Amino acid sequence: MIKQLQFMTVIGFFLFCPQAWAEFVVEVTRGQEQAIPIAVVPFSSAEAAAASFDVAQLVSNDLARSGRFKPMDRKDFIDEPHTGASIAFDDWRRLNNDYIVVGQLQPQGEDHFNISFELYNVLNHQRLLGFQINSNRAGLRLASHQVADMVFEKIIGIRGAFATHIAYISMLGTVPHRTYRLIVADADGENPHIVMQSNEPLMSPAWSPDGQSLAYVSFEDKLPSIYVQFLKTGERRQVSARAGVNQAPAWSPDGKKLALTLSTRDGNLDVYVLDLATQALTRITDDPGIDTEPQWSKDGRTIYFTSDRAGGPQIYSVGISPGDRPRRLTFQGAYNARPRLSPDESTLAFVTQEDGAFRIATMDLKGHNDMQVLTKGRSDVSPSYAPNGADIIYASRDRGRGVLAMVSSDGRVQERLVSSEGDVQEPVWSPF
Amino acid sequence: MVAAREYSWPVVFSVLLHGAIAVALLLITRISITPPRQSIQPLPIDAVVISSQVLHAAQQVQQAQAAARAADVARAAAAVEAQKAAEQQRAAEQQAAAAQKAADAQLAEEAEKAAAAQRVAEAQKAAEAQKAAEAQKAAEAQKAAEAQRAADAKHAAEQRARADREAELRRQLAEEEHVNAVEASPKRDQYVASLQNAIQHAWIRPPSARVGVDCLVEVTQVPGGAVTGARVTQCNGDAAVRQSIENAVYRASPLPDPPDPALFQRNFAFRFKPND
Repeated sequence: MIKQLQFMTVIGFFLFCPQAWAEFVVEVTRGQEQAIPIAVVPFSSAEAAAASFDVAQLVSNDLARSGRFKPMDRKDFIDEPHTGASIAFDDWRRLNNDYIVVGQLQPQGEDHFNISFELYNVLNHQRLLGFQINSNRAGLRLASHQVADMVFEKIIGIRGAFATHIAYISMLGTVPHRTYRLIVADADGENPHIVMQSNEPLMSPAWSPDGQSLAYVSFEDKLPSIYVQFLKTGERRQVSARAGVNQAPAWSPDGKKLALTLSTRDGNLDVYVLDLATQALTRITDDPGIDTEPQWSKDGRTIYFTSDRAGGPQIYSVGISPGDRPRRLTFQGAYNARPRLSPDESTLAFVTQEDGAFRIATMDLKGHNDMQVLTKGRSDVSPSYAPNGADIIYASRDRGRGVLAMVSSDGRVQERLVSSEGDVQEPVWSPF
Repeated sequence: MVAAREYSWPVVFSVLLHGAIAVALLLITRISITPPRQSIQPLPIDAVVISSQVLHAAQQVQQAQAAARAADVARAAAAVEAQKAAEQQRAAEQQAAAAQKAADAQLAEEAEKAAAAQRVAEAQKAAEAQKAAEAQKAAEAQKAAEAQRAADAKHAAEQRARADREAELRRQLAEEEHVNAVEASPKRDQYVASLQNAIQHAWIRPPSARVGVDCLVEVTQVPGGAVTGARVTQCNGDAAVRQSIENAVYRASPLPDPPDPALFQRNFAFRFKPND
């Protein structure tokens, strides 16, 4: 009887064992913040040299600059495949690549090019992307950024912002022979174009939601006034030249209004909303302190701003409905200013003072309002989110000169942007 | 017992036969002038009740022969007596008594002879029956022995098979017990920790892999730890999360060896559940 039971136990054991083994599960709760290794193989073309344009290099630079990729050094390549069929995956894997981009640049007649590319997962040989882009010579740079965007999105899971733009103010020379320029460049800082130039200060550029226009403050008439300029034609118009201060324009999400800072006769600064079509003005804040640097929420119902009503500058939010009372958001530190909302509205980026230095910080709006200081400079100001929320561009100083810098929104990656000449300030990232 | 039953009928038969012969001789003596009639017949032999077929046939033959011999003897004796009676018809009446006496003696002698013959036949029959019985017994014994041997062999084989089975089960049980033991031991935790460590170093976590993401990836490895398959089965993350997880498994290949080979899992799963 006992033997029988023993036998049954053994049988039972074998019957239930497989299930028990299938339940061997190892929990993984952490990962690496490291960059993903990728190989971007030079694009083939007999005439590529003639085109004198290196698509792969530009894609590689974009990916590297994002901090999320570690493109393989070209001199370590042992092969240069141009199509998926000719990729020796095992070799690329041995070179520690997770992904590979291969492609071709083909001239198609006068001033016309065809870029074709493919993205493969080296680890499982899977083809993840395959596209063609047609472009003229002038558009090759943009087309290359678009390649980088697609690769970025496919692997990282968020839209790439390499094919977007930045606007900033550049100052050349010294007073009294100083020149101010409003410049628009590619997101990598390359390919700068002068939008506006003046011998008087230019300040506070702001992108319209459609990316077609810029609003900015100009002192060209010796007094500050706000202009809106259509980028394609250069056509512009003055939208606010009220007595006193006209500053810090911010577009409403529908592009029909500007929030801005105006002053009363006694010099008190408050936030207003200006209807661009009707010039109707709505007062949003009414406080003896300085209220400035407005920023809209996506639904256009809330405005974030800086106020010193409690002593030092702190960040507040207020509904645009009449009678809505401002709510203070920042409590850590004596100085928090220039709020900028992340595209998903989960986070607020701003300038904070820490150890006597100005630095870029973020605050989680949905959680416990935890503040995280992202930069380590002495004078890091004017944060502006990339439209995908992955990075923040800001103005920093290097040996007394204003430069552009970038930090990933989690603070992991910091980059200095190649800067055009002059003293650079107030970068703002365009929408998609 | 069997033998006793087998001989009971012949005994009955021989008694009846002796009786019959005596009656016949008495009849012959009384009507001595009358020629012997053919009505005198041996008693029918009813052998159906004899159990053994072979034995029955032998007995029938022997009994018939014995009966025939007895009849011949009786006939011859009757003839001699009849002749003597005819020749000495004219002899004195008192001689008849002497003759009768002599005939009686003769008859007794003959009967004795017949009985002796019968005894010999019976002894022979008995011997033969005995022999046949013994032969049968021997055959049966042999058969039984062979059956026994076969049964023994079968039994032994079964015993062996059972022993083998039990040994195998014991071995497997021991193996399972070993697996259980090592699984319950810190070695299992060691193995889990080493797998965890390997995969956490290999996982490049995409920004969308936030707290709340919960993904299961089924892994197939071969001894030595080389990953031959990785497939995300259940996952609430986006495509980038799924891809990063599969890649993490391949990047971690070869996976670490278990501290005890019994802990090796060809198929198992990683559960990705970021906690910060």
